[in-house]
Amino acid sequence: MTAMNDRIVFENVSKFYGEVLGVNRVSLNIPPGVTTLVGPNGSGKTTLMNLMTGLVQPSSGHVSVLGLTPADADRFFRQVGYCTQFDSFPRRLTGREFLLDSLLLHGMSEGDAFRLAEEAIERVRLGDAGWRRIESYSKGMRQKIRLAQAIAHHPRVLVLDEPLNGLDPMARAESLALFQELSGLGMHLVISSHILDEVDRISDQVVLITGGYIVAEGDIHQVRREVRDKPMQVLIRCDQPELLASRMFTSNHCVEARLHADGKGVFLRTADIDEFYRLLNQIAVEGLIAIDAVAPADDDTLAIYQYLIGSDGSAS
Amino acid sequence: MSVYKHEYRAYTGALTPLWSRVVVVVRYAIAEAWSSRITVALFILSMLPVVVYLVGIYLANNSLARAIIMRRDNGFEIGAGFFLNLLATQCWIALGISAWIAPRLVSFDLADNALPILLSHPISRFGYVMGKLIALLACLSPVTWIPCLLLFAYQGYSSAHPWFMANLRIAGGLLVGSLLWIAFLSILGLAISAWVKWRVVATGAIFAVVFVPAGIGGIITGVLRTRWGFLLNAPVMMTQLWQRLLGAPEMMRDQLHLPTVAILIVLTLVCGICVLMLNARIRGREVVRG
Repeated sequence: MTAMNDRIVFENVSKFYGEVLGVNRVSLNIPPGVTTLVGPNGSGKTTLMNLMTGLVQPSSGHVSVLGLTPADADRFFRQVGYCTQFDSFPRRLTGREFLLDSLLLHGMSEGDAFRLAEEAIERVRLGDAGWRRIESYSKGMRQKIRLAQAIAHHPRVLVLDEPLNGLDPMARAESLALFQELSGLGMHLVISSHILDEVDRISDQVVLITGGYIVAEGDIHQVRREVRDKPMQVLIRCDQPELLASRMFTSNHCVEARLHADGKGVFLRTADIDEFYRLLNQIAVEGLIAIDAVAPADDDTLAIYQYLIGSDGSAS
Repeated sequence: MSVYKHEYRAYTGALTPLWSRVVVVVRYAIAEAWSSRITVALFILSMLPVVVYLVGIYLANNSLARAIIMRRDNGFEIGAGFFLNLLATQCWIALGISAWIAPRLVSFDLADNALPILLSHPISRFGYVMGKLIALLACLSPVTWIPCLLLFAYQGYSSAHPWFMANLRIAGGLLVGSLLWIAFLSILGLAISAWVKWRVVATGAIFAVVFVPAGIGGIITGVLRTRWGFLLNAPVMMTQLWQRLLGAPEMMRDQLHLPTVAILIVLTLVCGICVLMLNARIRGREVVRG
């Protein structure tokens, strides 16, 4: 398998719906693992997902998934599973029937379809609810049956639009564990979610999009380092936070200090992270302050989102 | 950094042919159509004229019955005219049934946003529409060409004369005439279902598309004294077409006859517009905000 045949590739892709911009000049190269699409409503996340699932064709540019395009429908859709964000089920079907029909639509034989449907129901832990009509499902169960539908045919690329919506904390944890397991096996998972703190824990890379434009992409820590105009925030747990803050302010790069609520730590903002750590090392070596822990406090997806896109959804 | 074991294996089993996947859509659509008791009631009602015509054939071929009920031996002949009436009756009933069934077939999927989930399978928009179309044809066939051909076969069986082979053109006309009409109704019904969300309005729209232009066509014909106004009049147009297909005597004056080619062009044009309407609405994408 060549490198490109193991990737989801967008080459200068634009999509317009009439005069409405979907996405503009998007170039992405998504490796296996969990990739999170982050952006405000209307930013183009669903358009990106529709493009990579072949539901819409780009106005310009080229999209390929594991080297395949939707023109080769049989092979393409065998590799791609899509979990939409909408409650879109044919009426009067049980969960099992829904999965069976989905698998038959994928071209599986009836025997394989039965086997794979059972396997998917077991995997999302739907249990006996699979025999009930979907109309009677709770929101969380509907999410699960949608997820089961997306993974039932053993795709290698799983595109999940808001897969955690409506799930209770336990079901969320189960879903996240399943996503992690699948990504660990070498599968592509592309997830859009507003529940950033939870998705953040399993994301290998993040794509930030707003107004149809990609604002940033890549490993979240790498992205944070590249946002140079926003001083990085670091939490240092120590026995003398006030003294530490005063020492750090002796250098120009430190721009803000805030004591932790419990008084046993300090949040420090710095414009030069390398210089910051050098000074911190020096302080630690001096031994006057006992430093217990050092952790970045704002290189998660939520912080990046707020820095790059802002709470109003407009890129800064 | 994640470590990818690359242990995941995609499904590698054999795949069924494309047509068998369309069957899933057909099955959904037929289940949807027959989920209402009104559909069942309409279907039963549609069989009443068939029974009447069946009795007619029985009486026409039973010499005792002819002698007792009709009092004369040659007053009631079974021929193209008889089957034209049967075909016309069943075809107009089919209009009513399609106006009831068709509106829910596409509009429900659009309302539920079900198209992205369906079209993210290896089935094209064409396959989706074909599935719905086949389902509608399957629902309308038992009302139109199937009973017509069964009655034709019964007449062939009952007739003392070598009637069957001598009147094969009628059978061909019944089949082709029915199929043309139900195909037209099906595609029209799907197009309206794709654009009109409310069932009652969609049902009304199907009747309106058939009968409102007929009124306009009548005015054009009356005011301009031209036969071309009838090209907007589906009942007149179809009756003329069915007459020719069955070889039945035409009832209108010669100068009001429409060329068969013109009728077929109008039907094709309407179907073309319906295809464009479907093409505009049957999309895999979800709602795009902003």
